[in-house]
Amino acid sequence: MSTVDTPGPRPRGVTAAGRLSDRTFAWLLVLPGLAMFAVIIVYPLVASLATGFFEQSLVKPGRRFTGLSNFADALKGDFWPVLWRTVEFTVGATALPFVLGLALALALNSGIKGGGLLRGLFLFPWVIPGVVVSFLWLWIFNANYGVLNGVLMRSGLMDTGISWLGRTDTAMLAVIVTKSWASFPWMMVMLLAGLQTVPKELHEAAAVDGAGAIRRFRNVTWPQIRGIAGIVVLLEFIWNFQHFDTIYVLTGGGPAGATRTFAVAVYDTAFKGFDLGHATALGALWMVLLLGAVAVYLRAEGKGAR
Amino acid sequence: MRNSTPAPGPSRRDALRLFGITGLGLAAAAACAPSTSGKAGGDRNANGFTFTAWSLNEAAQKDAVQGIVDKYAAATKVKIRTGSYPYNDFLNQLVLKLRGGDITGAVQLDHSWLGSIASMGKLVDLSPQAAKGGYTDAALSGGTYQGKQYALPWTTGSIGLVANMDLLAKAGVEKAPETVEEFEAALRAVAKLGGGVVPYAASTKVAQLKDMIPWIQTFGGKLVDNGAPVLDEDPAVEALAWYKRLYDAKLIAPDVDRFDARALFAQGKAAFYDDAPIAKGIIAKSAQDPKLVDHMQPVTRPVLKAGDRPHSLLWGHLMVVVDGEGANKAVEFASHTTSDTATAVDFFGRVALPPSTTAALADPKVKGDAFNAAWAEKITKTAGPNPFWQFTGAAQIDSAMAQQVQAALVGQAKPKDALRKANETVKPLIK
Repeated sequence: MSTVDTPGPRPRGVTAAGRLSDRTFAWLLVLPGLAMFAVIIVYPLVASLATGFFEQSLVKPGRRFTGLSNFADALKGDFWPVLWRTVEFTVGATALPFVLGLALALALNSGIKGGGLLRGLFLFPWVIPGVVVSFLWLWIFNANYGVLNGVLMRSGLMDTGISWLGRTDTAMLAVIVTKSWASFPWMMVMLLAGLQTVPKELHEAAAVDGAGAIRRFRNVTWPQIRGIAGIVVLLEFIWNFQHFDTIYVLTGGGPAGATRTFAVAVYDTAFKGFDLGHATALGALWMVLLLGAVAVYLRAEGKGAR
Repeated sequence: MRNSTPAPGPSRRDALRLFGITGLGLAAAAACAPSTSGKAGGDRNANGFTFTAWSLNEAAQKDAVQGIVDKYAAATKVKIRTGSYPYNDFLNQLVLKLRGGDITGAVQLDHSWLGSIASMGKLVDLSPQAAKGGYTDAALSGGTYQGKQYALPWTTGSIGLVANMDLLAKAGVEKAPETVEEFEAALRAVAKLGGGVVPYAASTKVAQLKDMIPWIQTFGGKLVDNGAPVLDEDPAVEALAWYKRLYDAKLIAPDVDRFDARALFAQGKAAFYDDAPIAKGIIAKSAQDPKLVDHMQPVTRPVLKAGDRPHSLLWGHLMVVVDGEGANKAVEFASHTTSDTATAVDFFGRVALPPSTTAALADPKVKGDAFNAAWAEKITKTAGPNPFWQFTGAAQIDSAMAQQVQAALVGQAKPKDALRKANETVKPLIK
């Protein structure tokens, strides 16, 4: 009589053929990514959030648990002025390059002569590193030997130079102009790509119906590019909300805090004030606000995908 | 028809949730563990070290400092790696590197940073080298923190007023002003020259607004009294109100730091500015008019009324050694660079920064330099230390005060309110 070996219970995640199940295989594929995510994103994030609950200096050893006092101090301190300046910068540095980028994209899409060359030239500011762009504009805006004052004074528009970066009423404008100069090419390229997907037939039909340029833009072009324009604006908004280098190089957050956004305030608190606890608390509040913008972006992208 | 009943046991979503919660828990536990700053390891006896200095980043000093490094490395067969950051970013970068344990060896330091850096507990005690280096007492005192000699003085000097006597003569000012009133009158006379001339290229950017300190002292301000900040006392407010008056009258210019001031002066566009004795070397290299340097003169800071003691801030370079790889060789390098007479005198000859040892100061090349002698007599003689240097948070205090001075200058706050706010900010930093 022959006996038949009955197989024992199969380990979880292993198929009858001794192969890994799809689910186990998927987990194995995802695992390295998750591990990297945990090490690079989750740990630093949680570690920095935890620092917000301590009194901790950058130059002195040790730290003391202080509960929510850093967060309370941040809200009592210059949180609201900093928030206002961050919004001011973000809105300005998003709207201005968008308008400029859209105008140039429309012009390039109209088939003007030398459009290809112009498109290449307009991309130039975008390929220059941000810090270099900032130093370039630092010299342009310099109060005492800047190019802008020189041109305005020689052309007779002004008698004396303006301290563009040293006055509270012009510093933010100068920073916004600089950032817009650096980012309009990206918006232009994205919007141009959107414009090129609009069927020419729609324009021709609208023109036959007697629609002028503005009406064609409003009723034909804009509905077609609204999706991409929304994404471009949202992304730029998120980037500007956390932007640092242009502001820091041009004004360092001054004069008298006139351009002190969250990025500069957190940097100053941590690396000039050496106060890691307060800096982290301010950074956490900033992150919560930023999450709102990111949620809107993800929602918009989800809708687009559907 | 497919069975829609959920499979028994944890689902994929449950597993993911568990994984996430566990990960967050571990991260939080790790994050809440007592913080430890990075400790630089390495062999203290290694035959090589790193030398980090902002002077290696500045055109006026770069070659001279690199020359010292190269000569020393060739003579001793020690391998010296160099690193550098711009002066205005140096402290931040140094603190971050020290905290991460990423820096060892010899480091150039500004007097005002010693408290912050020494409190990190990574510097080598240089008392034995200080004892045999032949440094002047005044110079040595700038390198101590809480009674320990953590730094060797490399150069000594002060921050004082420099004047373009040619420009002043063109404005009808024949001699350097001695009182604040005469000074203001001289500035008004220079302003009338027009042509984009800035009468006094005083610092108005936060980075060097600590230049305001000697003016506050000139008006009788103490800044620190019995270990407490008194930035908002009447003399200080009066000094700031006067400074703002100069600003509003365009006698001092907005948006100026030390580097802008040097550029303006070198172009012959500024009658006065504040600098260290190194000014001569820098202006000589960058001036459009080669004769400008002949018209440069150190000027005693004007006093409120005749007979008062003029005020200026002592300033100089220090050299510290961060414990770790090659620390012993770095100590020898720091000691040699700061105390070897030939090296110090040669360095003075190239960058015009006065040395810190008695022997080097007595050398004919140093003693016989007219500009240096005038500087020592007119400025350093009555200069005093920054009253905030004694505190760990000296750099933060300077910065907090500078921000409020700037707020007053641009009209964001009245001088009294600005200094009151500065005082409140500084209070917890004075420990």
